[in-house]
Amino acid sequence: MLSINLVNTYRIPQTFEYYRPESLREALVLLSTIEGAKVVAGGTDLLVDLKFRRVTPRALIDITGIGELRSIGVGDGYVEIGSAVTIQELVESEVVGRHLPLLAEAAELLGSWQIRNLATVGGNLCNASPAADTAPPLLAYDAEVELVSLGGSRRIPLERFFAGPKKTVLERGEVLRSIRVPLYRRRAGWSFIKIARTSFDLAKVSAAVLLSLEGDTVADVRIALGSVAPTPVRARAAEESLTGTGFEEAVALAPELVAREIAPIDDVRSTAWYRLEVAKTIVKDAMRRAYERFLRVGAAP
Amino acid sequence: MFDFVGKRFPRHDGFVKAAGLAEFTFDVEVPGMLYGRIFKSPYAFARVGRIDTSLAESMGAVVLTPDEVPDALFNPRLLSLEEDTFKDWRVLTKTPRYVGEPIAVVAAPTEDAAQRALEALRVEFEEVYEPLLDPFEAMSPGARPIHERIVRGRRWVEVRNNVAAEYGYSEGDLETEERRSSVVVERRFHASRRYHAQLEPKGAVCKIEPDGSLTVWTTTQTIHNTKILISQVYGIPMNRIDVRKVPLGGGFGSSIHTNLVTLIAVGLCLKAGRPVKLVLTREDDMVHDHVGFEFYMRVRAGATREGEITFGELENTVDIGAHQVQAYPLLGASLGWFVSLYKWRALRYYGRAVYTNKVPSCAIRGYGAPEVTWAVETVVDEIAEELKVDPVEFRLRNYRGRGEIFWGQGPTVRSVIRSDGVPELMAKCSELIGWKTRGDPRSKSGRFRRGIGVGRGFHTSGAGGPLSGAVIDYSGAIVKLNEDGTVDYITALQDHGGGTLDAHAKIIAEELKVPPSRIRIVWSGTSTTVYDVCTHASRGVFVGGEAARRAAAEVKRKVLEYAARILDAVSPEALRIEYDRELNDAVIFVEGAPEKRVSLSEVARTAWQRNWGSISASVSYRATVAPPSFTVYFVEVEVDTETGIVRPVRVVAGADVGTVVSPELAAGQLHGGFSIGWSWATGDEVAYLRDGVPAHRLSMTDYKIPTVLDLPDDERFTVVFASTYEPFGPFGAKGLGESASNPVIAAVANAIYNAIGVRFYEIPMTPEKVLRALRGGG
Amino acid sequence: MRVSFRLNGSVVEVDVEPHETLLNVLRDRLKIKSVKYGCGIGECGACTVILDGRPVTSCLVLAAKVGGSEVLTPDYVARTELGRRIVDAMLEEGAIQCGYCTPGFLTTIYAAIIRGVRDADSMRRALLGNLCRCTGYVNIMKAVKRLLEDVR
Repeated sequence: MLSINLVNTYRIPQTFEYYRPESLREALVLLSTIEGAKVVAGGTDLLVDLKFRRVTPRALIDITGIGELRSIGVGDGYVEIGSAVTIQELVESEVVGRHLPLLAEAAELLGSWQIRNLATVGGNLCNASPAADTAPPLLAYDAEVELVSLGGSRRIPLERFFAGPKKTVLERGEVLRSIRVPLYRRRAGWSFIKIARTSFDLAKVSAAVLLSLEGDTVADVRIALGSVAPTPVRARAAEESLTGTGFEEAVALAPELVAREIAPIDDVRSTAWYRLEVAKTIVKDAMRRAYERFLRVGAAP
Repeated sequence: MFDFVGKRFPRHDGFVKAAGLAEFTFDVEVPGMLYGRIFKSPYAFARVGRIDTSLAESMGAVVLTPDEVPDALFNPRLLSLEEDTFKDWRVLTKTPRYVGEPIAVVAAPTEDAAQRALEALRVEFEEVYEPLLDPFEAMSPGARPIHERIVRGRRWVEVRNNVAAEYGYSEGDLETEERRSSVVVERRFHASRRYHAQLEPKGAVCKIEPDGSLTVWTTTQTIHNTKILISQVYGIPMNRIDVRKVPLGGGFGSSIHTNLVTLIAVGLCLKAGRPVKLVLTREDDMVHDHVGFEFYMRVRAGATREGEITFGELENTVDIGAHQVQAYPLLGASLGWFVSLYKWRALRYYGRAVYTNKVPSCAIRGYGAPEVTWAVETVVDEIAEELKVDPVEFRLRNYRGRGEIFWGQGPTVRSVIRSDGVPELMAKCSELIGWKTRGDPRSKSGRFRRGIGVGRGFHTSGAGGPLSGAVIDYSGAIVKLNEDGTVDYITALQDHGGGTLDAHAKIIAEELKVPPSRIRIVWSGTSTTVYDVCTHASRGVFVGGEAARRAAAEVKRKVLEYAARILDAVSPEALRIEYDRELNDAVIFVEGAPEKRVSLSEVARTAWQRNWGSISASVSYRATVAPPSFTVYFVEVEVDTETGIVRPVRVVAGADVGTVVSPELAAGQLHGGFSIGWSWATGDEVAYLRDGVPAHRLSMTDYKIPTVLDLPDDERFTVVFASTYEPFGPFGAKGLGESASNPVIAAVANAIYNAIGVRFYEIPMTPEKVLRALRGGG
Repeated sequence: MRVSFRLNGSVVEVDVEPHETLLNVLRDRLKIKSVKYGCGIGECGACTVILDGRPVTSCLVLAAKVGGSEVLTPDYVARTELGRRIVDAMLEEGAIQCGYCTPGFLTTIYAAIIRGVRDADSMRRALLGNLCRCTGYVNIMKAVKRLLEDVR
C-alpha cells in the first residue's frame, strides 16, 4: 500500500542530484556512470511520480538543454523529431502540420497548454502509458525510434518500443534520441479521437486512423488505439481485412474486427466494458472523419 | 429606484485577488514560524499502541501526540444548541476511524525538515480492524461499533448499530391521502460522496503574541465559532484568541466548521511555543480531510387525477463517515427541504445518519437540498407524466409559494413566504428554452438526442425565524464614519468569493447615500468584530446585509441629528438625505430650502471639530424570517447514444432573489451553481477501495471537475431574475448561493430522461451508466 | 545549487535544492505569493507562470532548470498595461470570485494574447488547464470576449 505519509505534492519529498548536460554524449556518460540515474525531459509525469514516491532516482539527467534533441527536421522520405521537442512545438510546427496532421491533431488534445509547453514527445513515449496521446498517431505512421547509448545506436519500430504498462525496451544507459516518421506517400484522410472524463484528462480510450481510398475502395487504412491494451496498439489484422473493401462495408466491419485485437481493463478512469464498446464506436467515427478529410484534401487545389 | 443597489461596481478586492496579492491562509508567514506535517492513519480502523517520537525529536522536531492534547470530545461545527451538539472528535486520536485521520503532528523549521521528521515517527498499530465502508453493513447486528459512546451536549450517550443520529416526523393522515391518490410513485435514490474541490487547500497559521494571547489565521467560513471552539477545546479565554479573517479560496461548505487542521495547529503552536504553519497538501485535503455527505433516499409520493399532490414520504439514510460534522441538523434540514418543496397534505419522514470508516462528511453547497430536490423533482416529473399533465403546470399548481408556511432548515424555523417569483420565472424561462417544443423521448431517434428538463428548488436565506429555534443564527456589523466622511465597515462575516461584502458595501452606501468607493471593508478578526455565526445557509446578504444596513441606519440617524444642529433645523425629521453626483457625497438638506444643505463629510468633520464625538454604530441582528430564494433551471442536453456522453447544450436559470444587489456577481452565482451541479450530476464521485482507501488517491488526476470546454459559455447560458421584493430583506434582497445549485441535478436528470427515455436514480450519471442503460443493461 | 534567471524583468540569483520546484522557489525563497498552490501536479493551473514566453504550471518545473530563463509571475503581469486591461475586463464582468485561481487565469490570458490568440474559441482551448470551481467560467469568458474586442 502506498504509504500516505510519504506523499507530498507541495514539495518533492525526496532529494536527488540534478544534471543538465548540454551534449548527448555528456548525458550518456552521466547515465552510465551514476547508478540509479533517470532521464527527465518535460517532467510532467516524472515530477508527479517523485511527489507520490513512485520512483526514487539517485540523480536526474535533464536532456532539455541538449540542442540536437530539440529540433524537427525533414529528411529524405521522413520527418525526424527530437525526443525533447515539446508537445506544443509539435502543435505549432509547420512541418508536423503539413506532413503529420494526425500527430498534430493528437498533440493538440494532450493535457493543457501549460502541460504541452513542458511535456515532450520523447517523455510521452518513454513514460509508456497505454493512454499516451502521441503514441497512436505515431504508430499509425509506422514511426521508428532511435535509441542511443555510449555503445552506439539502434533504430526499432515504435510498435516494438513499448513492453507493457509503464515499460519500454530501453536498456540501462540508453536514451531515446529521436522519432523518425516515414512520410505517408498516399493522399490521406486522418482522424484522432479521444474519449475522456473532461476535456483535460488522460484518455479512457483513443483511436487514430489514417485512410486512403481508390474510388470508394479502401486502398490503405491504419488504425491505432490507446488505453485499450497494456500498450498503445495497432489493429493490424483489422487493417488487413479492411483493405480492398468498400468504404461503407469497412466502416461496418471495423468495430468488430478491432474489438478482437484489444484487451482493455478496468481502472479508475473507466471499465473494460466501456472501453471496448466505445473503442468500437470511435474507430467508426474516426474512419468517417478521415473519409471526409480525404475527400476535402482531394478537393483542395 | 436605488443609487447603488443593483448597479455594477468593480468588487473591492478584485485587483488584489487577480494580481495574487490577496493573502490567503496558504500565503501567511510569521517570522520564526515552524512548519507542521500531520501523521495520518494509513488504516481505516485501527488502534494505535506506542508512538516513538525519539528519532523525530533527535532531528530537532517538535512532536505532538494524542496523549498531549485535551481529552474532551468536540464537534467542529458550532451551530446547534449545546444540548443537540453530538461530539465524537479528538484533536489527535489513538483510534483512527478513517484513512487519513490525524494521529500525531510534527513541526520543524523548514517544510523539508518537517517531512523528514514525519517519516521518522514510528507508530505501532496494536490492532487493525476490518473497516465498515457501507452504511447498511455498519448498521447490521454484530457490526463492530465505530464509536461506542459519544457526548451529546454534556452527557455521554451510547451509539447503537452505528447510527449517529436519528430524526422522525409525520403530519396529516398519510393513509387517507394515499387512498385518494390515483397515482403513487416510489423510487430509491443514491447520491455519491462528492468532494468540494475548492481551489485552496485548507490550513492554519497560529502565533503566540508577546502577551501570551493567540492569533490564528485559517480557512474558515466562521471566525467567531472558530474562536469559541479553540477556547472550548484548549480552555483559553475567548478574549485571548484573535481569529483573523483571511480570504477564502472557495468554500462550498468545506470550511463551514472549524477545520481539524486549525485545532491541530493551535496544539502544536502551544507545545512548540513558537508560531506554526500547518497547511494541507491537495491530497491531504481531498483524500484525507473531508468530503460531502452521501445519501440513500426512498421517496414515495402521490397525486389525485386532477393533479393535486396528496402525500409525500422520505426515508433518508446518510453515510456520514467516521465523525459527525452536524449530522443531526442535516437530518432536520433534509426534512425542511422536503416539506417546503410541495404542499403535501400528509407527510412522513425518517432520517438517520450512519457512521462508516470513511473520511468524515460535512456540508457541501446546499446541505442536502440538491439531493432531496433531485429525488423529489424526479418523482414529481414521473407523477406529472403519468397524469399526462405538463410538468411545469404540475409544479406551479403544487409548489409551496406565497402565503404558505415555509420551513427553511427544519421545523423550528418556520415563517410565511412573502415574496415568490416562481410563476414569473417558470413562464419566462420555459419560453426562453422552448419548453413546448421539447418533444417526447419516445419520438426521438438517431445517435445524438436532445432533451430539455426542468428542476425547481429553493434555499433559505439564513436559518433565522420568529422563535429562537434549535440553531444559532445572528449576525453583527460595525459601521464607523471617519472624521473626513469616509466609512469603515467592520464585520466578521466571511465572503467566500460571491461578493457578499461588496453587496454589503452597496447596502451601506444606499442607506447613507455615499458611493461604495467611500466605504472600506476592513479585514479584521474576532477581537475587533461582533459575533456572526457563519457564512452558510445563503445568509450573507439577507442577514449580514441587513445587519450592515441597520448599522448604517444608526449612523445615518446620528448624522441627521448633527446636521440638524448645523443647519438650525427644528428636528432631524425635517431633513432629507440624497446622493449628490457632483460632490460624490451624501448631502443633507431641508426640503424646500435648497441653501440649507450640508455634505456628509462636512457633518463628520464638524462633529470632530466641535467635540460632538464619534459617529458609529455596532449592531447585532437576528432575522425573524428565513425567506426562500427560489430557483428554476431549464437545461437542454445532448446525449451521444453510442458513447453515453452527455453534453450541456443550453441553460436557462431563473432566480428569485428579491432585489438583485450586484447583477453580474449574482449571475456568477448561477453560473457557478450550474457548474458544480453539473459535475455532481455527471462526474464527481469519491469511491473507496476495500481497505477504505479512496480510489482517487491520485488526487486531482482522477477527481475531475469540469473545465471551460465542458460547460456552456455565455451565449448558451441565460440568467433571468424575478422582479420581486422581499419585505424583510435589506432593500428587498434575499439569499442566493445555494439555491443557485439546488435544482441543477434534477434539471439535468429530467433533461436526460427527455432525451433518451431513461431515468437515473443514482448520481453521478456517468457516460458508462448512460451507455449501459441504453444497451439495456439497466 | 545556485540558479540565476530573469524574474519580472530583473535578474535574480538564488540558491535552490535540486528537488525544489519553481513554485517552491518563487513562493518560499523569493516570497512571490501570487503563484498559488492548488494541486501540485499540473491539474489546476493556479500556479501558472510564464516561462520564456509560454505559460507553464510552476509546480512541475524543477527550479534548477530555469537558469538563464525568463519568468513572469501574476503580480508582475497584473501591473503591465495589458495585464491591467485583462483585470479591468474581469472586474467589469464579475469574473472574479474567490480569487484563488484568478492569478493563473490572468497569466494564461496574458500569455495567449501576447502569443497572438485573438478569437474566443482559441482562448477557451488555451484556458483548459485553469480550473475554477466558483464561476462556471461564464463571466471569465465574457471578460475574455470583451478584452479580445478591445485588443482587436
